[in-house]
Amino acid sequence: MITSLAHIAEPVTTVAPDIFGDVGVSLYHYLFVSATLFALGVIGFLTRRNMIVMFLCTEMMFQAAGLALIAFSKYHLNHSGEVFVIFVLTIAAAEAALALALVVLLFRRRETLNAEDWALLRG
Amino acid sequence: MLDGLTSLMPITTLAADAAASYTGSKDALASGAGSGLMVLVPLLAILGAIASALMLCFKVRTKLPAWGVVGTIAVAFVITLVGFLNWNGDGAHIAHAFEWINASWGSGGAGETFTANFSFYMDGLSWLWMLFVTGLGALIALYASEYMAGDKGYARFFGAFGLFVFSMACLVMGDNLVLLYLGWEGVGLCSYLLIGYFYTKPEAVAAAKKAFIVNRIGDVGLALGIFLIYITFGTVEYAELFPLISDGHAVNVAGDPISGWVTWAIPCLLMLGAFGKSAQFPLYVWLPDAMEGPTPVSALIHAATMVTAGVYLIARCFPLFTLSDGSMIALQVVGYVGMVTALLAATIGMAQFDIKRIMAYSTVSQLGYMFAGLGVLTTTGAAFHVFTHAFFKATLFLACGAVMHGFAGQLDLRKLSGLWSQPGWRIVTIAMFIGCLNLAGVPFTAGYFSKDMILAEAFITPWGQLIGWVLLFTAGLTAYYTFRVFFRVFVGPAQYEPGDEHHAEDHDHSHFHPHPPGWAINAVLAILAVACLVAAATYFVKPDEGKGWVGGLLSDSSAAYVSPHGHHGDDHPDDHGAEHALRIGDAEVIPASHPGHDGEDGHSHDDDHAEKDERAMKAGTFLGMDPHKVMYYVSALFGLVGILAAAFLHGPKGPAGLFIGNRTEAAHSRADKLLPMLGPIPTWAQNKWYVDEFYNMVIRVPLLVVSHIFHLIDKTLVDGAVTVAGSLPKTLAKAIRPTQSGVLQGYAGGMAVGLVLLLFVVWIVVIRAGGVG
Amino acid sequence: MGPPTLHELFNPVLFYVLLTLGAVGVALASPRKGVSPQIIGGLVVGAAFGGVLVLLGIRGNEAGDLPNLYFYVFALIAILSGLRVITHPKPVYAAIYFILTILSSSAMYLLMQAEFMAFALIIIYAGAILITYLFVIMLATQAPSEEKVASLEGYDSTAREPLTATLAGFALLAVLTGMMAHGMSDLQDSRQVIRPSVHSLEAPILGVLPNKVIREFEQAAVFDHGIAEPTVEEVNDGFDANLRTMAFKIEDRERFDHGLETDTRFRSMLPETIHGDTVLVTLPAERGITNAEGVGFTLIAKHPMALEIAGIILLMAMLGAVVLARKQIELGEDEKAAQLRTLGQGFDDDVAHVGGGM
Repeated sequence: MITSLAHIAEPVTTVAPDIFGDVGVSLYHYLFVSATLFALGVIGFLTRRNMIVMFLCTEMMFQAAGLALIAFSKYHLNHSGEVFVIFVLTIAAAEAALALALVVLLFRRRETLNAEDWALLRG
Repeated sequence: MLDGLTSLMPITTLAADAAASYTGSKDALASGAGSGLMVLVPLLAILGAIASALMLCFKVRTKLPAWGVVGTIAVAFVITLVGFLNWNGDGAHIAHAFEWINASWGSGGAGETFTANFSFYMDGLSWLWMLFVTGLGALIALYASEYMAGDKGYARFFGAFGLFVFSMACLVMGDNLVLLYLGWEGVGLCSYLLIGYFYTKPEAVAAAKKAFIVNRIGDVGLALGIFLIYITFGTVEYAELFPLISDGHAVNVAGDPISGWVTWAIPCLLMLGAFGKSAQFPLYVWLPDAMEGPTPVSALIHAATMVTAGVYLIARCFPLFTLSDGSMIALQVVGYVGMVTALLAATIGMAQFDIKRIMAYSTVSQLGYMFAGLGVLTTTGAAFHVFTHAFFKATLFLACGAVMHGFAGQLDLRKLSGLWSQPGWRIVTIAMFIGCLNLAGVPFTAGYFSKDMILAEAFITPWGQLIGWVLLFTAGLTAYYTFRVFFRVFVGPAQYEPGDEHHAEDHDHSHFHPHPPGWAINAVLAILAVACLVAAATYFVKPDEGKGWVGGLLSDSSAAYVSPHGHHGDDHPDDHGAEHALRIGDAEVIPASHPGHDGEDGHSHDDDHAEKDERAMKAGTFLGMDPHKVMYYVSALFGLVGILAAAFLHGPKGPAGLFIGNRTEAAHSRADKLLPMLGPIPTWAQNKWYVDEFYNMVIRVPLLVVSHIFHLIDKTLVDGAVTVAGSLPKTLAKAIRPTQSGVLQGYAGGMAVGLVLLLFVVWIVVIRAGGVG
Repeated sequence: MGPPTLHELFNPVLFYVLLTLGAVGVALASPRKGVSPQIIGGLVVGAAFGGVLVLLGIRGNEAGDLPNLYFYVFALIAILSGLRVITHPKPVYAAIYFILTILSSSAMYLLMQAEFMAFALIIIYAGAILITYLFVIMLATQAPSEEKVASLEGYDSTAREPLTATLAGFALLAVLTGMMAHGMSDLQDSRQVIRPSVHSLEAPILGVLPNKVIREFEQAAVFDHGIAEPTVEEVNDGFDANLRTMAFKIEDRERFDHGLETDTRFRSMLPETIHGDTVLVTLPAERGITNAEGVGFTLIAKHPMALEIAGIILLMAMLGAVVLARKQIELGEDEKAAQLRTLGQGFDDDVAHVGGGM
């Protein structure tokens, strides 16, 4: 026996769109911010001479990649992108640990953080 | 023509023998029981060599290697002797050792196979050579066991010695030209090793290199000759090759007739090989220098055996030399070259003071006789001369070696005198005397008979008159320089001056005492002296053939295609003799003097012997007389004149100088006063007519100049190109090196720019391909 | 809706003009010796990127949706703090500004309903990595001496070839954004707004987690109203992960009817039809897989190998950092001898090198 329940089921009301709502922002918006952060990271890496700040800039590029990954993850409706941000964080942490240890060693040697003082590969 | 065919009979039977022997059955061995044993000869020799090599490795310091080699070679000689005595003189047998090269292609038919086995072709020629190779080898090894005693390289010497006998056996007994070539190169190698035996002496090393390089020229000729023979005939096996040739005409294995340039090219190439190995003009220059080796080596290799390999080659391949439709251009060249060599070497030998060197030039000269003999169509004479020469020249060399050994390397005939009068030198002197008699051609010695045979044939052969006269003159010169040595060194006042080679016991020069030869040297010299006399006796074996024992041996071999066309040959009752004479008849060697009778114009070949006899007689005379009859006296006359000249110029006072000499001291003789009358000629002769200098100027100097030019080209052009090629990237690198600043940001900037460019290109491609936007 | 073009998204001429303006601003903001127009540069950059964002927002508005203001605010904060990271002469401040960038990034993660990653980012980056940076910055700074007052190092206060670097960076940005705009057209429904609560994201995960489904229904108080609790097998067979519905047997009809009448939430979960004694219940929208659960499930189920490798990398990095940063101790001869004596006779000289070798 089938009884219609239409009369007792209330329609699900959606949240009315407002300017703080969750609509109107496309994948492209997030990718643009990601690309901008990446470009800023590149510029920073090229312009700064302090090794620590240079590493900071690489971290910013990682950050840009993470943003793009999350955006794609949400766009494709799966969690793989988020999972890869975890891996990006892992690599960033490992890199920070090793690179900063190296920076400390280098600083001990020459008492400077200027990357241009380490130019042993000069042709 | 019929007779020509019958002449093939022995060859065809031996081919059948060969077939039987290849199966390795007992029948084949039974048919040639002696031949089958000959497989052991090279085996023994190589075993002796290997044993010596092992002793060398284990640094054996005793005389063990000598006894090993003497023993094996002596056993080899006994085997050869037994085999020879069992050989019944019925042509060739083939003893098969093992299969070596046996290739076929295509259908494997005529001309599509190549077979060269380790098989030994035993006929009269091989037996003759093997007898004196092993016999002299054993004797000289025995001599060397004493002569070389105390030398550091004792085992090395005997290793090379054994290897030499092995190679010589392969050369002489091989049943195909490839095996002959193996032996040919093998003896060349041993020669090189033994000439350079005293490798710390620069002269010895230079002489070894000279011998090797000069021999290369000849060996190239031989190799090309063998190639050409295979290409032309389709086989290199004697048993197949020689039946293809008859009457101066040849067919290949497929039956097609052979004519054209190959008929003279093959003998000329083989001849070149023979000239190199047997030291003929112009390739003779290596042999005198080869005397830097130990004396036993000079005696065995550079006098008795190896240098006769060229004679053997021509004798063995004699049918090929009769190919060229009767003109026999190669044989004429052989004859004239032999003549020039004989005269030239004799004149040089007359002016030398080093007795070993005199013997070396004498060897070259006598080899010239042998080649002249071949050139005037008497293989018997040449082979007989090889045989006798082997004995008397070995005797002479070993006697010289004994002198050298006893006087600390002294070989200058101006510094030695009167050995006869010195204690312990009697046997040496007697052996030397017998050897000198032989070499000088004194009547009833072996050298006398063999030389006569060649001289007589020379006057009979149409192109041989000049050769004959020159050889006769040379015989006189030979007698002179031979007895010059004898008169100066072995008789007269007893004087000596030691050489500069110090033996272990002679520390002090002032206390030098010559040490006379021991039992081994004396015994060998005695045996050889007797052997010289025995060799003379072989002339009287089978006298009805007029060519002696050697001629009998050769009549069944491939060298027998030309028989002496004198009376003896024609009197021969059996088919062989008749057909040999006939071959001369229609091989058109006569036409020069008989224009009306030549050719194959239906001359009945069966007509009576008298006519042929007459034609043969008319072929050549010695001043109108039969050379065979008068040559005995004429050559004896020339020899005696030479000996008297030697006695007059160099002989000591008294009976030893035949009462015409007046020498009273070692250094000076009448020649010192008389020779300057000849002007500069003796000096020129002493300097070997400046042949070495001529070669130096004509060959070596231009080569040096050319090589310097090429060196310059290499330095400037080739090296310059390489330098430019190297400096180009270097310059480029210098230009772009500043981009490698070493600063991290520089590389990162490069990466960023590269990424931009890459992405831009990809973007453009996406737009173009997708047409989006 | 056909594939949108670059022109549909924004006006390219205006976009590139604004990017060029941004480039000028970055170049101006770069640290220099002497008078440095950093503030002007920062304003220019803010204006340029704000303009770009407004441009993007206007286009989004034209498409019929209102812009998400939070996104634009946090995007601008991220960009401007990022600019400060690369332009601030003092490394410590740069690091602090980087924390700001991270915070605004994590805010954007939150906007995308990636709350686990948002908080993980704050904890790991801001909490751990950046603190390490700060420590290292302090470690690697020369102690101020008496004659030398603590001041900026020369290499910090001057940018290295700012024009070239800015040109390269903005060329990269232009190419990237241009490519992205083209790439949009190849994507299905590229205008799709990134929405939260899209259940299809959870469907594949819920479909393989029956116990989770039972627990979610239980938490939604479904079983309080006379409906029998299903077994795992029943859930495996009966649960429709895409529609988030499940047919339940009605155990107690009275309680069920009672629940329908009294509990509006319960009533809202029921579809229109009831088939005899079975009823089709829909899982409420707020129940289901959370973001953290989804990430954890994907991490373990789909990328176990990468997870293992990440673990190994972290371990190696730890070891490497320990080895690299260890202080080298130089032992004198006396100390070596003393150490040898304590170690006893059985050891050879190598023992001493172990202590002082590195």
